[in-house]
Amino acid sequence: MIRLERLQKTYGALVAVDDLSLEVEPGCVFGFLGRNGAGKTTTIRMMVGLLEPTAGTAVLGGHDIRRAPEAAKAVTGYLPDHPFLYDKLTALEFLRFVGGLYGLGGAEAGRRARLLLEEFGLGRMAGELTETLSQGMRQRLALAAALVHRPRVLVLDEPMVGLDPEGALELRHLVRRLAGDGVTIFLSTHSLAVAEELCGRIGIIDRGRLVIVGTLDDLRARAGSNDGSSPSLETVFLDILHAGGDGRA
Amino acid sequence: MTLAALLQPRLLSLRNVVRRDRLRAVTVTGLVGLFWLACFLLFTRVLGYFHGLGTFGPFLTQRLLALLFLTFFGVLLVSNTVTALTTYYLAAEVTPLLAAPLSYRRLHHARFLETVVASSWMVLLVGLPALLAYGVVYRAGPLFYAGALAVLLAFLVIPAAVGVLITTGLVLVFPARGTRDALMVGVGLAVAALVVAIRFLRPERLADPSALVGFASFLGAFGATGSPYLPTTWAAETLLPLLGARPGEPLFYFGMLASTAAMLFLTSAAVVERVFLIAWSRAQTGHVRAGAAERPLSRWLAVLVRPLQGPSGCLFAKDVTVFLRDASQWSQLLLVSALVGIYLYNFSALPLGDGTPLALAMRDLATILNLGLGAFVTTAVAVRFVFPMVSLEGHAWWILRTAPVPLAQLWWSKFWIGYLPLVVFAELLVATTNGLLHVPSLVTVAFLLTLVPLMAAVVSLGLAFGAAYPRLDTQNAAQIATGFGAILYMLACLALIALVVALEAWPVSRLLCQARSIAGVAATRTAALLALAAVTGGGTSLGAFWVAKRSGLRALARLGGT
Repeated sequence: MIRLERLQKTYGALVAVDDLSLEVEPGCVFGFLGRNGAGKTTTIRMMVGLLEPTAGTAVLGGHDIRRAPEAAKAVTGYLPDHPFLYDKLTALEFLRFVGGLYGLGGAEAGRRARLLLEEFGLGRMAGELTETLSQGMRQRLALAAALVHRPRVLVLDEPMVGLDPEGALELRHLVRRLAGDGVTIFLSTHSLAVAEELCGRIGIIDRGRLVIVGTLDDLRARAGSNDGSSPSLETVFLDILHAGGDGRA
Repeated sequence: MTLAALLQPRLLSLRNVVRRDRLRAVTVTGLVGLFWLACFLLFTRVLGYFHGLGTFGPFLTQRLLALLFLTFFGVLLVSNTVTALTTYYLAAEVTPLLAAPLSYRRLHHARFLETVVASSWMVLLVGLPALLAYGVVYRAGPLFYAGALAVLLAFLVIPAAVGVLITTGLVLVFPARGTRDALMVGVGLAVAALVVAIRFLRPERLADPSALVGFASFLGAFGATGSPYLPTTWAAETLLPLLGARPGEPLFYFGMLASTAAMLFLTSAAVVERVFLIAWSRAQTGHVRAGAAERPLSRWLAVLVRPLQGPSGCLFAKDVTVFLRDASQWSQLLLVSALVGIYLYNFSALPLGDGTPLALAMRDLATILNLGLGAFVTTAVAVRFVFPMVSLEGHAWWILRTAPVPLAQLWWSKFWIGYLPLVVFAELLVATTNGLLHVPSLVTVAFLLTLVPLMAAVVSLGLAFGAAYPRLDTQNAAQIATGFGAILYMLACLALIALVVALEAWPVSRLLCQARSIAGVAATRTAALLALAAVTGGGTSLGAFWVAKRSGLRALARLGGT
C-alpha cells in the first residue's frame, strides 16, 4: 500500500534522505523513528508531495506520487507536525473546504464535516474561527481534515504533539480502529511507547539512511539481546543508533 | 538581562537577512535612498519657492513646519497604537520574554523601542529630508541640525507612549483581536480621509501666486488655533529660531518637549509594569462565540459556488471568506477607494477645455497616457490584492499542496479571483476617465480591448512575483504589499505598461486624428488601426501573461508549506 523506492533528497552537499526503500502492507501501522534531524519529516514531505525528491519515488495506494500526484494524494490523508490552518475559517468551513478539495460534493462534505467534528469533540466549536481554538483543538481539527475523504493511506507526522492525555488516548484508539478497517498508517513519532503499543512494523532512520526495519521482535533480535530478556523499544532504539547502523535493513 | 541583550535577536536577524541576500539589501537600500533624495529635492524646491515669495513667503514656510509636525503626530499616534498592540500583546516573542526572569519594566523598555522603530521609520523617511531641506533653504548652522535630531527623538517618544497607554487600555477592556481589526479599519478610514482632505486643498493652486492668499489665510487660521499645549507647537517653536527664521525661546520649548516625552515614557512604563500580566492574559483569550451554528456568509457562499464544478468552488468560497474576514483587506479597500476618487477628480479638474490647439494636443497626450495611467492605478490595486494572494495562504499552503488538486488548477483559481474584479475595475476606470476627457468612442474601444489581455498579464505577474517572494510569516496584506517582491512586481508592471502604451501610441494617435478631422471616412483604415493596436498591445500582454504563468507555476511548485 505504501512503497518508498530509493527515495533521496539532497541539499547541495547535505544528504537529508539517502536511498530509502521500504514497503508497508495494507492495514499495517508502520512506526517511523529516528533522532531529531534524522530525515523523518523530509521523507514524509516527499511522500505526500510537499517536497520534490532528488531521486526515487513514493507509491501510495498504487499511485506514484511523482507520476500521478493527484491520484496518490486522493487516497492519502496527511497530518503535519505543525498543522497550520486558515485562521479566518470556522472549524466547519475548514473541514468542508478540505472535503471539497478532495472532491466531495457540498452536501456530503458538510455531512462528513459535522460527523467528524462530533467524533473529535469539536461539535460545539463548529462555528468558531480556527484562530480562537486551542493548540490541541487545532491538532484534532487537522486530524479530522486528514480523514474527511476516508483515505486508504494515512501519514501522521508527530500526531501526539499538543494533545492532552485524553486526546492522545483517543488518537491511539482511532489509529487501531482505522488499521482494523484496512487503512495503512505511516506514523512518525518520538514516543517510543506509542510506537511500541501501536506499530506492527518499525523503521529507524539515522542521518538520512534507514538503518533497520522490521517487527518489534525483529528489532530486538537484531539489536542482540544476549541475556534472553525482552528489552524495551527504547533500549533497542538506543542500541541500534549507538551501534552506528550495524543492523541495516 | 540588559536592554541590548533583549534587542539582540532583532538586530542579529537583520544582520543575517542582509548577509544572506546582499542583492536584496543593496536594492532596497538603493530604492530607499532614491526615495529619500526625491523627498529632499521636492521639499527643497517647494520651500525655496515659498521662501522667495516676498513678505509672506517665510510666514508660509514656518506655518508649513507646524503643519508637517501636526501631520506626523497624527500618523504616529495611530501607527504606534496599532503597532503597540502587536509588539506588546500579540507578538509570539513576548511569551519567552515573559517566561524569562525579566522585570515588566525592562520588557516594556524593549517593546517600547521596537514599537517606536516599527511605527516611526516611515515618518523619518519623509521627516528627515524635510528638516534637512529647511536647513538648506534657510542656510541654517549646525545647531539647527543637532536640534532637529534632538527634537525628532523626543517627538517620536510622545505618540509612542500615548499609543502604548491607549492600546493597554483597549486590551484591558476589549478582546485583542477585535481591537486590532477595529483599529485597522479605523486606520484605513483615517488615512483615506487624510488623502482626500489633502487633495481637496487643491495644492496645484499654490503654483499660482494669486491663489496663495487663500492658502496663506488657511495656514494663518491653522496657526492661530495651534495650541501652546501641543507637542507639535513645541517642536516647531524649537526649530524656527534655530533656523534663524525668527527670534524665540528654543530652549524653553525643547524643555517642554523633552520633559513631556520623559514623563509619558515613565508613565507608560509604570502602567505597563502594573497591568501587563492582566492585559497580556486578556489578549490571549479570543472572543469565542461558543456556537455550532453555521455563519451566514458560509451559507450564502455555498449557494453562490454551487454552479462551479470540483475544487474550484471550494477554493473560491475559501478565498472570498478569508478576504471578507480580514480587517487589513478592508482597510486597504478604503484607501484604494479614496485614491480612485482622487484619480477621477483629477481628470475632471484638468484644464483642457478651452479649444486651443495646445489644449487639443494636451488632450491627445492625456488620452494616450490615460491607458497607461489607468493600467498603472489598477496595478497599484493588484499589488495590494493579487500580489499577497500566495503569501496569505501562509503556512497553511500544505493543505492545498497535499490535496489532489493540480497546481495549475490552484493557479487558475487564484487568477480568476484576481482577474475578474481587476479587469472590470480597469475597464470602468478607463471608460470613465476617457468620458471625462471626451475621447472618441473608437479610441475607448481600443483601450478597453487592450486592457483585457493587459490585466491578465498584470494578474499573472502578481501571482508569479507573489510566489517567488512569499512572506508566509505575516497575515497582514498591507505589510506583504510593501516588501521587496512587491517593489519588483510594480517595476515589472510599469515596464510592461510603458511598452504597451508605446506600441499603441501611434495607432491611437492616428485614430484620434481621424476621429477629429475625417469622421465617417476610411472604415477599413480604422479597422486596420484598431487591429494594429490590438495585435501589438495584446500580443505583448499575452506574451507577458504566458511567461509569468510559467514562472508562477514553477515558483508555486517550490513552495513547501507546513
